[in-house]
Amino acid sequence: MARATRVPTPVLRTRKTFYQIIEPYLFLLPALAVFAVFLYYPFGRTIYLSTWVTDALGRPKKYVGFDNYSIRLFGKPDFWASLGSTLQFVGVVALGGLIVGMITSLLTYNRYKGSDFCAAVYAMPVAIASAAASMAFRMIFHPTGGLLNNLMGTQINWLGGTYQFWSVAMVTIWLQSGINFIFISAGLKGVPTELYESCSIDGANYWQRLFHITLPAISPTLFFQIIINIINAFQSFSQVKLLTNESPNSSTNLIVYAIWHDAFRAQRFETAAARSVVLFVIILIITLIQFSFEKRSVNY
Amino acid sequence: MKATNPSLPQESHQFHKTRSMRKRELKNFGNLLLNIPLLLIILVPLIYTVSISLVNTDEVYKTLLFPHSIQFGNYVNAFTNPSYSFLRYIGNSFIVSTSVMLCQMVTASMAAFAFVFLEFKGRKLLFLAVLATMMVPGESTIIANYLTVARWGWTNSLHVLIIPYMTSAMGIFLLRQSYMTFPKELKEAATIDGCGNWRFLLTIALPLSRPALGALGAYVFLNTWNQYMWPLLTTDSDAYRTVQVGISMLYDIDAQSMGLMMAGVVIVIVPSLSIFVFMNKQLINGLMAGAVKG
Repeated sequence: MARATRVPTPVLRTRKTFYQIIEPYLFLLPALAVFAVFLYYPFGRTIYLSTWVTDALGRPKKYVGFDNYSIRLFGKPDFWASLGSTLQFVGVVALGGLIVGMITSLLTYNRYKGSDFCAAVYAMPVAIASAAASMAFRMIFHPTGGLLNNLMGTQINWLGGTYQFWSVAMVTIWLQSGINFIFISAGLKGVPTELYESCSIDGANYWQRLFHITLPAISPTLFFQIIINIINAFQSFSQVKLLTNESPNSSTNLIVYAIWHDAFRAQRFETAAARSVVLFVIILIITLIQFSFEKRSVNY
Repeated sequence: MKATNPSLPQESHQFHKTRSMRKRELKNFGNLLLNIPLLLIILVPLIYTVSISLVNTDEVYKTLLFPHSIQFGNYVNAFTNPSYSFLRYIGNSFIVSTSVMLCQMVTASMAAFAFVFLEFKGRKLLFLAVLATMMVPGESTIIANYLTVARWGWTNSLHVLIIPYMTSAMGIFLLRQSYMTFPKELKEAATIDGCGNWRFLLTIALPLSRPALGALGAYVFLNTWNQYMWPLLTTDSDAYRTVQVGISMLYDIDAQSMGLMMAGVVIVIVPSLSIFVFMNKQLINGLMAGAVKG
C-alpha cells in the first residue's frame, strides 16, 4: 500500500533498501559465477601454468618463467611445423568455405522450383557434428573398400601421407559449408535490388553484375564470414583426431590437436598451457583485426 | 510482337505464351542442373552412411552409394548388444543437452534482464566482462578447466558436462537484444503497478522473448549434443559417455564393425537433423547470434 502512494520515482531511488541495492547483482550472479570459475579462472591459470614445469597430474612443480615458450615451443622445429600446418589449413578451409558458400548462395538466390530444397541441403551441415561426420568420412576414405576408392577404382590411402591434409581440410570445408551458405545467402538477400536495376538497364551481363555490384555490396559479409571461418578452422580438433586415427603427420598436426596431445598423450601440461596461450593470442589478434575493420567498415 | 502482327493476335499470343513457359521450364531445369554437383557433395556422404549401416556385411566394401540388400542387424546390435550401450549414451547426451539448454535459458535471461532493465554500479564494467569472454576460444582454456574438475574429482559424472556450460555470452546477448526491443514504458508501468523485478522477468519478459529463447534453446541443445572434446577429456567410463564420444570409440577394424559404426553415426545424426528440420528458423537465428562468438 505504502509503495502505491509513493509514486514519483526519485523518492523510490533515494530510499533503496539493502535488498534493492544487491538485487541486480543477484540477477547476474549465476552467469558471472560460471564465467568466473570456468572462464576467467582457467584463463589466468593457463597463463600461470605456462610459466611452470608441471608433473603428470598438471600440478606446478618448478617456476621456469618463459622457458616453456622459448625452449620447449619456439626452440623446437615441431612447433613451427605445427603452426605452419595450422596456418596453411586455416587458409585452405577459410577460403574453401567461402567459395562453396558463395557458389551455393548464388545458385539459390533466385527462387525456382526446387530452390528451397537446395537451400535446405546447403544449410544442413551446420547441424551435423564434426565427430559424427568424421566417422562417416572415415568410411568414405577407407583405403580398400571406401566409396571414393570404389568410385575411382583405386586403392588410395586418403587418410595417410600427402592426402591426409587435403582429406581433413575437405571434411572441414564440408562441415563449414552450411554456416557459410547461411551467412552469405543472408548477405546476398540484403543487397538492395535497385542496385541491380540500374545495371540491367545498362545491359551488363551476369558476371559483370556479380563482380561490379554483388561482390562489392556483400564485401562486409564476406569479410565477417572469412573471420568466422578462420576462427573455426583454428579450433578444429575432432576431425584431426578421428580422421587420422590419432596419428596425424606433420601437415595435419593442428594446434588444438597438439594441445590435446601435449596434455593427454605426453603428459606435458606446461607445453599444452603455453600452446593454449599461443592459440589465444592468435585468435585475439584476428578478433582485433575484425573489430578495427568493422569500425572502418568494408566499402559499401 | 503484337504491333508487327496485328492480323494474328490470338495465335501470336499463344505462341508467345508457350514459348515463354517452355523457356521458364528450361531455365528451371537448368538451375536445378547447376545445383547437382554441390547437392551431391553434401548429400552423398549422408546417403552412403545410411546405406552402409543397412547393407549385408559382405557388401560393405563393395557398396556404391545405394545398398543391394537391406538388413537392420546393425541397429538391433547398437541398441541391444550389452557391449555398446548406445541407449545409455543417448540418454546421457539427452540429459546433458537438455540441462545445459535450460540452465542457459535461466542464467542468460536473468543476466540480460539486469543489463537492460536495472541500474547499478559497475554495469558497464560487468557488461565488458561478459563481452570479453567472447574473445577467449574454449579450446585455449580447456586444459586448465580439465585440471580444475579433475582436482575436484568431478570427472566421470554428468554434472561435469553440464555445469561449465551453464551460461554463455551468446545467450546473454541474444536475450539482451530481445529485451531491448520492449517499449520503455512497459517496465515503468509494471513497477508503478507494484510488479517486482522477478515477477516482471517471469510473467512479462520471458513470455515476450519466446522467439529469442527458442533460438537459444535450439542452438544450445544442438551444440551440446554435438560436443566432442570436453566429454572426451572428462569422461572415460561407459556410464557417463555421450553420443559423439560413444560413436568415435567404435573402430573400423572389419566390415561388421563398419556397419555398426555407420549405424551409430546415423543414430546420433537423426536428433541433430530433427532440430535442423523442425526448428530450422530458431536454429538459424541462434546460429547467427552464436557465430559472432569466437
